[in-house]
Amino acid sequence: MADAVLFEFLHTEMVAELWAQDPDPDPGPGGQKMSLSVLEGMGFRVGQAMAERLPRETLAFREELDVLKFLCKDLWVAVFQKQMDSLRTNHQGTYVLQDNSFPLLIRMSSGLQYLEEAPKFLAFTCGILRGALSTLGIKSLVTASVAALPACKFQVVIQRC
Amino acid sequence: MTVHNLYLFDRNGVCLHYSEWHRKKQAGISKEEEYKLMKDGFLAFQTSRYKLHYYETPTGIKVVMNTDLGVGPIRDVLHHIYSALYVELVVKNPLCPLGQTVQSELFRSRLDSYIRSLPFFSARAG
Repeated sequence: MADAVLFEFLHTEMVAELWAQDPDPDPGPGGQKMSLSVLEGMGFRVGQAMAERLPRETLAFREELDVLKFLCKDLWVAVFQKQMDSLRTNHQGTYVLQDNSFPLLIRMSSGLQYLEEAPKFLAFTCGILRGALSTLGIKSLVTASVAALPACKFQVVIQRC
Repeated sequence: MTVHNLYLFDRNGVCLHYSEWHRKKQAGISKEEEYKLMKDGFLAFQTSRYKLHYYETPTGIKVVMNTDLGVGPIRDVLHHIYSALYVELVVKNPLCPLGQTVQSELFRSRLDSYIRSLPFFSARAG
């Protein structure tokens, strides 16, 4: 089992490399879009593979909520060595997953320092969630928000065709 | 017993961090000159007024802590500052470039809490 910190260092370098190569110098949300979507796409493929690989007792989830619980427990533990701290839903296809001490943010700050940089470090993980859901037959849109580090929320909106 | 101040240098002599708690006298030279003096390094020494403790890692990171004379060997404390604070909160922080002064508020506040929690740190100097 590889040292978990290896993934953190690799993730840090991915973010740094993408930002260094971003041709658009605009630091606002428009300029960042390309890099954020590249990161999200990479996370998507990783999430797809992780969901295939993770062993699970029941092959069929009885309902959508079970899939989200699987993400919060099994997937989160496999990637971040901890479970999601809370899961809420409106029972109409929107879920909010909250991690109060997200491992990719926890060493950055405890509060508001570096807040504007935080979204860069969440894009890949949003992709992981969307990819895992996709493998399990659920199409979704995943976004993340940070009010104060190291807590963050992932919003999953199920897309019904 | 108390801690006066603490310096963190990297292998190039860049001062990564400086904090002070109870410092009775300011030296009559600028901070930059003071850094140059400090980094030329000892293992530990003491004068009649204070004791300087020194810890260096194989990677060239130097931790220098000045305390009053009542404080014994504290190698494990300096090691903790390096491994549990500097490595965890600076090296592993994607937004802290190595080789520059540390800007992380989290590092500064955790270091401060740690120093204040030490058994040989008292809120009143002397």
